[in-house]
Parts: sequence; structure tokens; C-alpha cells
Amino acid sequence: MIDIKGLKKAFGENEVLKGIDLSIEAKEVVVIIGPSGSGKSTLLRCMNYLEQPTAGLVTVDGIPLDGEAHINKVREEVGMVFQRFNLFPHMTVLENIMLAPMKVKKIARAEAEKTARELLSRVGLAEKADSYPPQLSGGQQQRVAIARALAMHPKVMLFDEPTSALDPEMVGEVLDVMRSLAKEGMTMVIVTHEMGFAREVGDRLLFVDEGRIIEQGVPKEVFEHPKEERTKLFLSKVL
Amino acid sequence: MSFNFDLVVNSFPLLLLGAGVTIKITAMSVAVGVIIGLFVGIARICRVKPLEWLAAVYVDFFRGTPLLVQIFLVYFALPVITGQRIDPYIAAIGACGINSGAYVAEIFRAGIQSIDEGQMEAGRSLGMTWGQTMRYIIVPQAFKRVIPPLGNEFIALLKDSSLVSVIGFEELTRRGQLIIAKTYGSLEIWISVAIVYLVMTLTISRFVAYLEKRFATDDRH
Repeated sequence: MIDIKGLKKAFGENEVLKGIDLSIEAKEVVVIIGPSGSGKSTLLRCMNYLEQPTAGLVTVDGIPLDGEAHINKVREEVGMVFQRFNLFPHMTVLENIMLAPMKVKKIARAEAEKTARELLSRVGLAEKADSYPPQLSGGQQQRVAIARALAMHPKVMLFDEPTSALDPEMVGEVLDVMRSLAKEGMTMVIVTHEMGFAREVGDRLLFVDEGRIIEQGVPKEVFEHPKEERTKLFLSKVL
Repeated sequence: MSFNFDLVVNSFPLLLLGAGVTIKITAMSVAVGVIIGLFVGIARICRVKPLEWLAAVYVDFFRGTPLLVQIFLVYFALPVITGQRIDPYIAAIGACGINSGAYVAEIFRAGIQSIDEGQMEAGRSLGMTWGQTMRYIIVPQAFKRVIPPLGNEFIALLKDSSLVSVIGFEELTRRGQLIIAKTYGSLEIWISVAIVYLVMTLTISRFVAYLEKRFATDDRH
């Protein structure tokens, strides 16, 4: 579903990704962990070209990200959830979800609204349709953000530390939504610090440090028997 | 020194007529300025280098030269090129609008850049183009933030519109001059003119303060 070859990304002199090769299958749930500054978020953001790689090629669902038209096409198929939600504060929750389907896919208002309401009930927020994002709690905003991404019927969902900006008591409600998505067979790539969740939901765990994939495997294996020194060191700090 | 109140009372209707014209050209210039300013402001940050460069030249030129000179350029210099006289009304609105557009462009640019980058990223990640994201997400939010500086710009423009009196355009200041030419009442008329301007600018600033308050509550932050 996602194919990454020789991916490098530098910000000026600072090389954040130093050559990443990665292939993600359909319906796979890949969790990326690593210390802050390791390049894990940059790697995720290269998958829909929010960051433009310095070298290498990303291909999503057979479409190479090599031009504006292809990039927009891929973005239609790849949903993204941000650490800071990034909901549109001047629109109601319902309008937030309806906007892209109507403007990008030219779906009629009535149909877009129907889908939006269904998605809202799915994330447990049907009664918040007419609220504005700033009126909601962090956990509620993040669930709306997930619904907004799902409204485009994406084939892949990218999550960039989706619970890092949340108060501890709200983390669970967001993880619940993600868990059910994974069960339904959504292809997901998740950058997170939630190790318990990574272990429970992930099909594959990637440990990224200093711009490289240091180790990968079945989460349980990597957590219990890390092979690399750096993985051991990192896990000893976070577990 | 004597202050002739009768002169003030008698010339008041004529001054009000002038004030009406001042309001009219200010409103028209503001409309022209906002439209130009919106596009030039967006062009300043559109990442298409030639467009950014053109917009920067526009802003630099019209902010870096006096409005009075710009009025002369439009009214006296332009006809030399085109071979056609320009109606003072068109010249006045043209010069003021184009000048204001440069200031409004900077206001919009700052307003747009004040919107969190995550908004653009969210729009783009949903498959919307840069233009769509600007139109539906960034600009509507920026509009609320630019109301106060835009209000200041309108007030400045209303005052600066007195400059078009030099091309014989009969707005408030020119009316005052004409009345003084007949009556020699410099003291009375210039004080009256100043007061009429003051009433207009204070009215605008109150209105802007009201708008600001209304939109602030609408934001629900």
C-alpha cells in the first residue's frame, strides 16, 4: 500500500532522515516509536508529502508522489490525524467533516451531511454536530479530526502522535476509536508514545532513531527481546 | 479676533455636501483597496516567485511614494501616455484605491501569516489545493483578525482623501477652500472642516470597535 525507497530528508544542514526503505501492506497497522527528534514524525509526514523528501521516492497505492496532481490524488486517499487536531475553528463540527468531500470529491451537500453524521455517531459525538471545535474537549476534538479524515474514505490513515496533546483522562477515548478502526481492517501508520497501545494494536513495530529504522518486528517480540542496543536503551527508559 | 458663528451655520450645508462626497470616495477607494489588497496580499506569500516579486514591487512603490505624487501621476501624467483626459472622480478613486491596496495587502499578508500552519496542513492533507485551503479555511479566519488594522487603514484613507482637493475634486477640504475664497473666514471654516472630519473618523472607529467585539464573541475561544 505504501512503498518507500531511499527516503532522505534534510532541513538545511540537518539531515533528519538518512535513508529509509519501508513497505507497508494493506490492512497492516504499523506503529512507529523512537526518541523525540529521531525523525519519526518527519517520516510519517513524508508519506503524504506534507514534508517534501530531499531524496527517494514514496509510492502510495501504486501512485508515485512525483508531482502536484499525484500528490493531491494521494492526499485524497491518505487521511491524517495531527497531534494538535487542527480542526477548523470557524466551522461547526459538521462543516469540518463535510468540507473536503464537497470541495475535493464534489459530493452533494445532502450526501456529505449524511456521511458526516454517520461518522460522528461512529466516534460517539453525534450530539456535537453543531458545536464549534473550541467548545469541545481535546479528546472530543481529536475524535472529530478522525471523523473528518475518514469522510474522504481514505485507504490509509496516518496518525502523528494523536494523544500527545491530550489530558491523560482523554487518551482512552481516542485510542478506542483507533482500536476499532484497526479491527475494521484500516491500513494505519501510527507515531505514538503509547507503548501499551502499540503492543496491543500494532501488527508491526518500527523503532526509529537518528533518521534510520533501527529495528522492526512484531511488537511483542521487539518489546520483550529487543536485539539492538539502542532499542534496549530506549525501551528501558519508556517502559 | 472675532468668531463669526453665522458663517459656520450658513456654510454648514455646503460642508456636509462635501463630507458626503468624502464618504463616497472613501467608500469606493476602500472597496478597490480591499479587493486589490486581498489578491496582492495573497500573491505576496503564494510561493510563485514572479508573482511574489510583482506584489512586493507594488507594495513598495505605493507605500514608498507620497499619495499626493500618486494622485498627480494618475491625473496629470497618465493622460500624457494615453492621450485622454481622466475624470477627476475616477482619478481620485483610482489613486486612493491603488494606494490603499498596498497597505491593505500588508494587513492581509500579516493576517494570513498569523493563522496557525496546522490549518494549511490539515486542508492540504484532506486533498484540498492550496487555493481551496486559502479560500475556505485561511482567509475566513484571517478576516476576523484584520478587522482592527483594516479599520485604522479606512480612517487613514478618509483623512488622506483630503489630498484629492488638489485636482479640484469637491470633497470636504475643497469645499472649505471654496467657501473661504468667497468669505475670507479661514478660522471658522477650517475649524468646522476639522470637526466634520473628526465626527466621521470617530464614527468609523466606534463601528470598528463594535465589529471587533461581535466577531470576538463569534470566535468562541
